[in-house]
Amino acid sequence: MSLRRWSVTLLAAFVALLTTAPLLWMVSVSFMAPGEAAQFPPPLLPADPTMANYHTLFGSFGIGRFLANSLLVSTLATILALIFTIPAGYAFAKLRFRGRDATFRLLVAALVVPGQIGMLPLFLELKAMGLVNSYAGALVPWLAGIFGIFLVRQYCLSIPDEMLEAARIDGASEGQILRRIVLPILTPIIVTLALFVFLGSWNDFMWPLIVLADQNLYTLPVALAAMSREHVQDNELMMAGAVVTTLPVLILFLALQRFYLSGLLTGSVKG
Amino acid sequence: MAGLSIRDARKNFGETEVLKGVSIDVADGEFTVIVGPSGCGKSTLLRAVAGLEELTSGRISIGDRDVTDLPPSERGIAMVFQSYALYPHLTVRENMAFGLKIAKASKTEIDDAVRRAAAILHIEPLLDRKPAALSGGQRQRVAIGRAIVRQPQIFLFDEPLSNLDADLRVRMRYEFASLHRQLGTTTLYVTHDQVEAMTLADRIIVLRDGIIEQVGSPRALYESPANIFVAQFLGTPRMNILAAVVADDGSAQLIDGGCVALPPLAAPLAPGTPVSVGIRPEDIEIGAAAGALPFTITFVERLGGLATVHLQAADGGDPIACQRRDDGSLREGEKVVALLPPDQLHLFDAIGRAIPREARK
Repeated sequence: MSLRRWSVTLLAAFVALLTTAPLLWMVSVSFMAPGEAAQFPPPLLPADPTMANYHTLFGSFGIGRFLANSLLVSTLATILALIFTIPAGYAFAKLRFRGRDATFRLLVAALVVPGQIGMLPLFLELKAMGLVNSYAGALVPWLAGIFGIFLVRQYCLSIPDEMLEAARIDGASEGQILRRIVLPILTPIIVTLALFVFLGSWNDFMWPLIVLADQNLYTLPVALAAMSREHVQDNELMMAGAVVTTLPVLILFLALQRFYLSGLLTGSVKG
Repeated sequence: MAGLSIRDARKNFGETEVLKGVSIDVADGEFTVIVGPSGCGKSTLLRAVAGLEELTSGRISIGDRDVTDLPPSERGIAMVFQSYALYPHLTVRENMAFGLKIAKASKTEIDDAVRRAAAILHIEPLLDRKPAALSGGQRQRVAIGRAIVRQPQIFLFDEPLSNLDADLRVRMRYEFASLHRQLGTTTLYVTHDQVEAMTLADRIIVLRDGIIEQVGSPRALYESPANIFVAQFLGTPRMNILAAVVADDGSAQLIDGGCVALPPLAAPLAPGTPVSVGIRPEDIEIGAAAGALPFTITFVERLGGLATVHLQAADGGDPIACQRRDDGSLREGEKVVALLPPDQLHLFDAIGRAIPREARK
């Protein structure tokens, strides 16, 4: 290996270490005894690793319930988002209907409006519909994200019309074309989109905080915030909470990385 | 199997009229090629027959059925696209079986149909591969196989050889011809390549700007083109066209100099009538002969067995092309005489329509 390649490898390893260091230290601290991380200089590894913080979290704090809540909300958000977004993106790309382009331009223009601006009207709307303090209310903003529709549409544009026409000649209905021809081709972008929505809804703090008043319905980020108010000094417990919050999505992300990357690279490599 | 009838087909895209009242009859079992330059409406016409494009007006019948308002799958057609349009996530077998699966055919029926089509096209070893693992020619065969499996009344081909390299195109042309002989299915084939049209067709339809210019057998179109467009569209190198006026003695005085005797015409032309004289490159004879005209060789394209010799008239004007066997004797810059044999000349009027010749005895 040449000197140049060695230098690049070392530099990449250093940057990777720098990036992952806070995450690794988070995991390390979660196994420390109360107060151990507050010492100076802060220790890198626990002197006497303990599961006490996790016992507290899952025992007296009952984080298992919030974990399940988050899992439920994120999974439902992902499924619903895919159900609404994929047909919409496909229709905007491949079906001819009156006002198609104008509607799509309007949607894309709406992307520039910050999500926070819509929160109050959305809250009032949901309140009128009686959906506040329910998972249905927490799920509404994820149903049909414009970004998702845009992503699916752009990918669908690369599917040759002739392929869909061949399926029509073969006798497939529009639904069958979407299910049997388009969906398998869309796999990379579906995984990418699912990951975006799952991560987004898993990490979302503001909307669940607004819409969910009942503590039993809290998702992990909201529950963690509530816990931090009581245990602000308890770094080790907080870090264990952070591990429980970040680890599932990190594992999911790494597991689906292959699809995720090919989805993101679509525009640059597809002929 | 069935014939195809198109009556007064018109198609507008916004303000643009792409098909301007096209009427075609394709006999049962006939191989008909629609040929024309890009944008002439040939693919639109084919897509209208397939049901992928709705006509603005006109009717389409397949056999005894009016299919104008039927969806593509109910028209009894199968189409092979220029880009093959195979489903990339399915194997060759699944690609070919797709239509029958949608139609809920039994597994035995599907297997039989796929095996039969695969045998005809010699693609049995490819059945479990995906399209990405196939060459261009193999993909084309699979696309044809998918069409055969449907057992259509009419095959529609939309420039199916355009994406193949020159060698493969020649081989596939041969295979298309054999396949048609074997299956005998009525075929409508669209291409912009006049060689494909000449070699494959029982009958050629020449289309320009949404209008049929001429319909006939390849030989008839080549020997008796209805106008300058058809004359120049069929044949490579294309027919030479020379501007002329009819002289007092009934010969044609070429604008670029020289005089040529005309073939016997159905009706004599008045002296001074402007005409266009056409001659195919292979009909020009280089060498001394009575009535030969002086030329200078400006360029020789050597193609191996044949050479295309570009000849410039002594008095100037555009060079004309002459094709002959290449014996290596002709050089650029050489002065030669060449004869335009009267019986090989085509005559066109001022707006490019063929002037009828006297009926041959």
